[in-house]
Amino acid sequence: MAERQDQSFEREDFAWLVAMSIVFFVLVAIALWREYATPWRPWQHRFKRVLAQAGRFEDARKFHSGFRQIWNPELNLADRCVSCHLGFEWGGILPASLPQPLTPHPALSYMTHHPFERFGCTTCHAGQGWATTARGAHDGGPGWEEPMLSKQLAASCEVSEAELIQMRCNFCHRRDVSTEGMDSLNMAKKLIKRRKCLICHTIEGQGGHTAPDLTYEGDKSPEMFDFSHVTGPKTAFNWHVEHLTDAGKVSPGTAMPDYNLPPEQARALALLILSWRRINYPPQYIPEAGAASAAPRPR
Amino acid sequence: MATDLQRVWRKLTWPWSPLSEREASEAIVRNLWLHWFPAKVSGRSLSWSYSLWLGTAAASLFVILTVTGVMLMFFYVPSTERAYGSIKDLQYAVSFGRVLRNQHRWSAEGMVALVFIHMARVFFTGAYRGSRVLNWLVGIALLLGTLMLSFTGYLLPWDQLAYWAITVGTNIASSAPLLGWTVQYLLLGGHFVGQQTLLRFYVLHVFFLPAVVWMLFAYHMWRVRKDGGLAAIEAVRAERRAEPKPMPRSKSYSLFGLTPGTSVAVMSSMGLEERDQVASSPNLTRRMILVFLAVFNVTLLLSLLFNAPLEGPANPAVTPNPAKAPWYFVWLQELVSSTTIHLGSFTISGGLIGGILVPGVLLAALILWPFFDRSPASAEGVWFARTRTRQNAVFTIISIGIIILIIVGLYLRGPYWHLYWPWSRRPVLPQVL
Amino acid sequence: METDRRTLLRWLGKSSVFAAFVAQIGAAARAFFPNVLYEPPSTFNLKKPEDYPQGYTFDSDHRLFVIRGAATVHVISAICTHLGCTVQWRGTEFDCPCHGSRFDANGNVISGPAPPPLPWFEVSLSPDGLLEVDSAAAVPEGSALTTPTAKA
Repeated sequence: MAERQDQSFEREDFAWLVAMSIVFFVLVAIALWREYATPWRPWQHRFKRVLAQAGRFEDARKFHSGFRQIWNPELNLADRCVSCHLGFEWGGILPASLPQPLTPHPALSYMTHHPFERFGCTTCHAGQGWATTARGAHDGGPGWEEPMLSKQLAASCEVSEAELIQMRCNFCHRRDVSTEGMDSLNMAKKLIKRRKCLICHTIEGQGGHTAPDLTYEGDKSPEMFDFSHVTGPKTAFNWHVEHLTDAGKVSPGTAMPDYNLPPEQARALALLILSWRRINYPPQYIPEAGAASAAPRPR
Repeated sequence: MATDLQRVWRKLTWPWSPLSEREASEAIVRNLWLHWFPAKVSGRSLSWSYSLWLGTAAASLFVILTVTGVMLMFFYVPSTERAYGSIKDLQYAVSFGRVLRNQHRWSAEGMVALVFIHMARVFFTGAYRGSRVLNWLVGIALLLGTLMLSFTGYLLPWDQLAYWAITVGTNIASSAPLLGWTVQYLLLGGHFVGQQTLLRFYVLHVFFLPAVVWMLFAYHMWRVRKDGGLAAIEAVRAERRAEPKPMPRSKSYSLFGLTPGTSVAVMSSMGLEERDQVASSPNLTRRMILVFLAVFNVTLLLSLLFNAPLEGPANPAVTPNPAKAPWYFVWLQELVSSTTIHLGSFTISGGLIGGILVPGVLLAALILWPFFDRSPASAEGVWFARTRTRQNAVFTIISIGIIILIIVGLYLRGPYWHLYWPWSRRPVLPQVL
Repeated sequence: METDRRTLLRWLGKSSVFAAFVAQIGAAARAFFPNVLYEPPSTFNLKKPEDYPQGYTFDSDHRLFVIRGAATVHVISAICTHLGCTVQWRGTEFDCPCHGSRFDANGNVISGPAPPPLPWFEVSLSPDGLLEVDSAAAVPEGSALTTPTAKA
């Protein structure tokens, strides 16, 4: 009796055991394959060929596939953008016409002051440096507050990509009166002086007290703004643009005058305001107060 | 050479194909890991349709969680500055890190669900009566341990989801009368969720609670053995006892010689007989391996398809809109958000009613149920026995209520906790750019 | 007499061990109650009252609102009394994003599950004229600090 039961159990289970084992094998194989088929690997193979085509045979030979990152513990960044954006430091040697992500970084005059190994990528371009997939790095996924400052994002704000990046330049260059490469925000800083914002507002401890303190206005959560009279997109950027253009419409009953600024001035000012954040960069990253820098004073 | 290999192979695999009854029982009894099982087990206990092997599935998930958890410990840093980054590293930079983390997360959620469903099965089969009452209580302790493990683990990624779910959860705990503030102070290590909270939850999650659950689990299995096995055998026992036994012919000695007649004889079986039993090795062990393999495959498939959630880094100044508890607690959040009573100037907090009293009453009901169960013994070990219909109905209704609250909390609540239909547009929250 | 002494010594030994054991458990439990907290002190200084604009200003460091009237200033906590989320000021009322509690401009509950109103914290002036807030001391609604003559 017991033996017959034994056999019936064995018969029942045998097929299932085999099936589950095969499924197990297949799933593990898929896991292994997914780990190997990373998005960056094909780009790295292609870059090796590009190096060879450009005549850099020694570099092509020494090029090994694998994760790459720029690590700077001072800024607590580990930017893995360079696993795909392999041409970044090959400006002048590889053609600028290479398609993304292999395109070399544009040779801007101030790049010598901002070496890659000290600043990484996300310091200027934002995005999620930890990620090794395109979507993870650029968009960041739900809850990631600092998406990469892309052409699309700039277009939705009706500014250029360079102007958006200037917002991040100002994290460190806040105390500068005028900075090379920050044309839009330099203009905005002059506007602050010309329009005498400090009569009512306080910025960095100086100014009047009849209007809110704007020292860290860039840190304010977008949900804290009142969008009931805002016509454009519900973003902190747009709120500031509309508020600067026509304060009475956005905040009825406010004492702030309607400046009727031209749109590019309003946008530049909005970017400047959004750049006013608490930052944790070590002091060696903040430019010294030189001839070109002095905080605006009220008049 | 061939016979040598055969001999070695036989030495390694003899438990799987025992050649005698003795070998079959030695496979269990002489084995460190297996000897807590009986050498023979009733065929009825091995039935798929009786227990659905839910307990084994839950235990398999716990094994997976322990192994994946220990592996994760080599990468995770329980510091408020570095926890979030270490999770991102697991997701993007560690080989197989994404699958490892996902498998841990989905096994955890699956275990909470399976433990509850296992408890429902035990209830519906009336398998908590008589000597099994103690095991029922141990099972409740295991359920609470599972929930606490899940709750402590929830904080560890230190993202917005984690920070605010634990803020809400510990504030519910503080609504408890008398000891509420003390419990909250102890759990948090202060007044607010911070580094000391993270460290306490980490130690609870990786050492203390798993040790407690493993020990309780061992006792849970021990009790099954002491109780004679799964409750399904009670029905078989009753059957055997009811079977008439033929009167044995025997001799009786009288003064003048032998007379035919009857003697003292055992009239009924006390329990299971030879024909009801099968060898545990390999029948029980084979099915356990099958269940483990199936469960592992399910978790691996889920891990390959779906990523464990992770939001932005924890920010005490900004509360996400809305902030939801994990799904197995969101029914509590629903209760807590709707049971605040204003009586004139006197207010009873929803945290007390929905967060402490209602779950307290439900827990007390679970604990005391076996002591008030008056159904007959024939209801033990069978699904949906007629004499237990009312009890089963009560359990079902309460469970369905909880499930409805979970669905409402998960899918129908939008910003500011307002109700939205799944198809209606939720207001888009403002962004920076 | 010998038996008595032995019994006494035995009793002495057992109860010493038991007492020491209980004391150790008590000590272990006591260790888990922190003596120092890595949290900001409950009394702290903000800016000078005259440095705040009229109306409601959110202080994200301390999770509170500074409300400046024509001649008064007071402070209302921004921590929802229900389960601890940070409320938002919407111009006429406070809204909590977690369970939809709503409070009026003085912190009283309009609707939602929050039981008590948002507390008003005790405010005073520090010797150098800064607004000193005691977040551990709640004051009745309506008690505000009269500011020294406000400068424009």
